[in-house]
Amino acid sequence: MGEVIVITSGKGGVGKTTTTANVGTGLAMLGKKVVLIDTDIGLRNLDVVMGLENRIVYNLVDVIENKCRIKQALIKDKRYPNLYLLPSAQTKDKTAVSPEQMKKLADELKTEFDYILMDCPAGIEQGFKNAIAGADHALVVTTPEVSAVRDADRIIGLLDANDIRDTHLIVNRLRADMVKDGNMMSSEDVVEILAVDLIGVVPDDEHIVIATNNGEPLVGSDCQAGQAYMNICHRILGEEVPFLDLEVTKSFFQRFAAIFKK
Amino acid sequence: MSDTVVIKSSTRRGLRLVLSESADYNKLKEDIAEKFRASATFLGEESKGIEFQGRVLSDEQKLEIIDIIHANCNLSIVCIIEDNPELDKRFMEKIKKFIPEETMKQETVPVQQQMPYADSSTGQFFKGNLRSGQVLDVETSIIVIGDVKPGAKVISKGNVIILGSLKGNVYAGSGGNVNAFVVALDMNPLQIRIADTIARAPDNPKKNPVKETKIAFWDDGNIYIEPLNKDVMGDIRL
Repeated sequence: MGEVIVITSGKGGVGKTTTTANVGTGLAMLGKKVVLIDTDIGLRNLDVVMGLENRIVYNLVDVIENKCRIKQALIKDKRYPNLYLLPSAQTKDKTAVSPEQMKKLADELKTEFDYILMDCPAGIEQGFKNAIAGADHALVVTTPEVSAVRDADRIIGLLDANDIRDTHLIVNRLRADMVKDGNMMSSEDVVEILAVDLIGVVPDDEHIVIATNNGEPLVGSDCQAGQAYMNICHRILGEEVPFLDLEVTKSFFQRFAAIFKK
Repeated sequence: MSDTVVIKSSTRRGLRLVLSESADYNKLKEDIAEKFRASATFLGEESKGIEFQGRVLSDEQKLEIIDIIHANCNLSIVCIIEDNPELDKRFMEKIKKFIPEETMKQETVPVQQQMPYADSSTGQFFKGNLRSGQVLDVETSIIVIGDVKPGAKVISKGNVIILGSLKGNVYAGSGGNVNAFVVALDMNPLQIRIADTIARAPDNPKKNPVKETKIAFWDDGNIYIEPLNKDVMGDIRL
């Protein structure tokens, strides 16, 4: 029996879709059978981040409306044969599906997959309600900014109210240098405000932008963000993994140059 | 002027033409021509539907009358409205059963002017860019003056010609016509579908593709994309 994990944040642009793509790919790399569901109907983009846009024929709404079978709508990933994507529709809106229908779909997929990751849209309206309908766990993504943390707090409250208590936090786009200078909240600060368990800290990394634009998740690669996402996957599987030391390691030359800047 | 023909332009859906039942058909045609010529300025240059009343007409006669109207004024008759409330009601019930109210308000580009007896050799124009989430669904061939962006879709029973760049999805010959083709000034589609064959973009696109006019056509279960030149054009079958 699989687990349904919803990836949500409240605020837009904090990295829900990127996290879904990378965590999903990471779990598939670790040998799990994974399906990613894009629940952002009308503004789909998980398929673009995964680089699978050109394969879409049927979508989530077609499945819900029984225009096709689930198998027909699932897109197999380019690299990992045990990773699938269920894209959302672009021509409909959030009202095209109901939470009950999403729950039924999730329950159906549970029988076949180990992990079902729901990429939640921003906001707390219908789209959010659809995404959390069948969820067993939640990953709340936030950035170390007051606005994102405030929205995350609201989301955690709403998840609580909907009986999703197994909530974990991902702090995304952390900049160790700014934290060190006291210009940015540290992950400890965020955890203190939100009072939920931390499952991962992902540094702000330009490799993410490059990978997203190429439609290839970077999880598992040797850059810091890739490792951070891989660690999250290990923790989801219940393994104890120490948190990355995000201290920026400057090369000898950079340190040398820094002396002269002073 | 005779009273065999009365034009009522104020109906909700378009133009209503009330024709005398007893008058001779040839005489009637002349009267129609005269009537529309006289009120050409009043009627203006709109696109309208037409509804016939008072006389039973065959399909050929209806089309003939529309031709007369086109010849004598600036109106453009885009469809024939059948005045059959019973049938209307039955259609609406069927439609409502399948489509919830919300989706009926869905944004599709409103160019679905259904021409009578359309096929792939008749066409229409659409001017503007089609953006992500927009669907242009037509019964005839279509010429798009503008771009089709990723996530947008053009569906046609006939051929699709895009005077702009094609970066989205196109479905030509949606009725199963394998002779349908797609032409674009800049051919870079996510997906092209002709009849029941789907082709998708390569996963590793070329870095700096040459912008040239290309044609996509179906041959023996495959879709081919080639630069548009004389040889290829010679093979086009309408």
